[in-house]
Amino acid sequence: MFGNESSDSESIESDTELQRAFESGHLKPGLNVEVAPKQHINNVAGMKHKLEEFKQHLEWIERLDLTVDPSTGVHKAAEEQSDSVADDDFRREMKFYRQAQTTALEGLAKLHKLRIKTRRPEDYFAEMAKSDDHMKKVREKLLERQLAIERSEKAKKLRDLRKYGRKVQQEVLQKRQKEKKEMLDAVKKFRKGQKDKLEFLNSLEPNGTEQKPGQKNGDKKHLQNKRRDFKNKKFGFGGQKKRGKYNSSGSSADVGESFSIAVNQKRQSQKTGKKHKPGKPRRPGKSRRQKLKNRQR
Amino acid sequence: MGKRKRTRVTEKVSEKENVNKDIDILPAIVYSDEPPKKQTKWTNKERVLIFSSRGISFRARHLMIDLRTLMPHSKSESKMDRKDKLFVINEMCEMKNCTKCLFFEGKKKQDLYMWASNCPRGPSVKFLVENVHTMSELKMTGNCLKASRPLLSFDPTFDKELHWSLMKELFIQTFSTPNHHPKSQPFFDHVFTFSILDNRIWFRNYQILEEDGSLVEIGPRFVLNPIRLFEGSFGGATLYVNPHYVSPNEHRRALRAKVAKKYINRVHAKKSLETRNVGQSYILDPTDDVFVTISPEEATGVAKNTFYREAD
Repeated sequence: MFGNESSDSESIESDTELQRAFESGHLKPGLNVEVAPKQHINNVAGMKHKLEEFKQHLEWIERLDLTVDPSTGVHKAAEEQSDSVADDDFRREMKFYRQAQTTALEGLAKLHKLRIKTRRPEDYFAEMAKSDDHMKKVREKLLERQLAIERSEKAKKLRDLRKYGRKVQQEVLQKRQKEKKEMLDAVKKFRKGQKDKLEFLNSLEPNGTEQKPGQKNGDKKHLQNKRRDFKNKKFGFGGQKKRGKYNSSGSSADVGESFSIAVNQKRQSQKTGKKHKPGKPRRPGKSRRQKLKNRQR
Repeated sequence: MGKRKRTRVTEKVSEKENVNKDIDILPAIVYSDEPPKKQTKWTNKERVLIFSSRGISFRARHLMIDLRTLMPHSKSESKMDRKDKLFVINEMCEMKNCTKCLFFEGKKKQDLYMWASNCPRGPSVKFLVENVHTMSELKMTGNCLKASRPLLSFDPTFDKELHWSLMKELFIQTFSTPNHHPKSQPFFDHVFTFSILDNRIWFRNYQILEEDGSLVEIGPRFVLNPIRLFEGSFGGATLYVNPHYVSPNEHRRALRAKVAKKYINRVHAKKSLETRNVGQSYILDPTDDVFVTISPEEATGVAKNTFYREAD
């Protein structure tokens, strides 16, 4: 009886505890199963024994193992937060790389000390871990990536340039508009009689070479279009195009510069301008020679 | 006995080396017209059986093949049935004359486990393999001889705790190619890196480009998360259990619970809103606002039709 009572009181106490836990939110409604905390075994003595048992006492050359501390010197501070290193891809890989690097350096030095040659000759060919086909693919991929980077950089530069150009153009337009406005204002004032003379006219007249900045290269531009110039010359610019090809008295009389009567209507002898050399007898023409022949008979 | 003698000899050599320290370092290149040395000193006859169970993913299979290509002292075996007991592997190793074993086990077509074991007498470790990248990925640009011996690089953390040093010894015996192994090449052009971060072992394989220490990664890369360390091979008493290990099932469950919580929270919020808004809070006379009108400008929708303003 007595024992029974005590168990009852215990259960009541645990009930109140449970209720308290439920109120505070530690307990969720539903079936609650007690979970025993996981047992984590760490049998140090056993491990020590096992390690001694299966350790091979071989020379270093058989094993080639090295334990190196990559976090020395400058990089030590960075290594302090090892948790962040695990998440940061770049730093993590850098750590591994440095570890491998120190190992390589130390290991090769050690091998050289043992008088073992490490590098293979240039003409030594043996099967590689990766096939030639695979390495070709790797190289292509590398090249492709490099090209992509270059292309994107080029595009970026072009984009920047265009942006800059647009800015400059806008500035020029604004400036031109401002000037125009100023000029119109000045004209207005002049008309109303508030001003005696127009400044921009003065600045233009005395030396005709000076131009407005906006029209600076207007004439030049016009000259630059050679194609237009040529077409204007060929087909004419303005005026009547009809009957343009009729002959007129002027045109029929005009024989052009390349033809001159003085030269082309000359006699042959005059034209050639050959002068008879004094020493040689002149050879007569054919008809004359024949006549001479007949006479001799 | 013979071994001991040999160690003495090497000690003498190293003493001599110390005497004329670094004065004459041999040229590192071996010329091809030298007569090849006969490899008679192959004493360490370690062999590693590398194989897997059925149901591993393609990536795991590639990883396994990569390891086989990088370890000339490895042997292969056909895939094991999932129902076979693991201690059968000990017999397989014995038949194949192997003293070490790397056994890959796929679960649920997504999780990869790896057993590393010293075969007849243990110990053995079970790992969860995470973040597998194989050698055939194009971003790994290095290359090395197929059968050259690797340098093994270990983190100093491996010597700090006993379970790590046990794993280190196991890795050294498994991954180092025996000296003068008939299939091996006598050059040193890659480094296997084991380092501990985040209670996991990260494996990397680098090619030594130049002897001044520039490296390129060859692959494969993977992360080993230790689960349990056993005394025997594929069984026996447990020596160590990793307290930081979370099984992938639990991890996935946590992720799913996180998403599910979003929905549950929303439902709870709705319910609580219902309990808080209890219909009418105060009884009002609906005829009170009969004469409350709005100006025609403020009218919207159908109410526009009821309003009109007379022209002035």
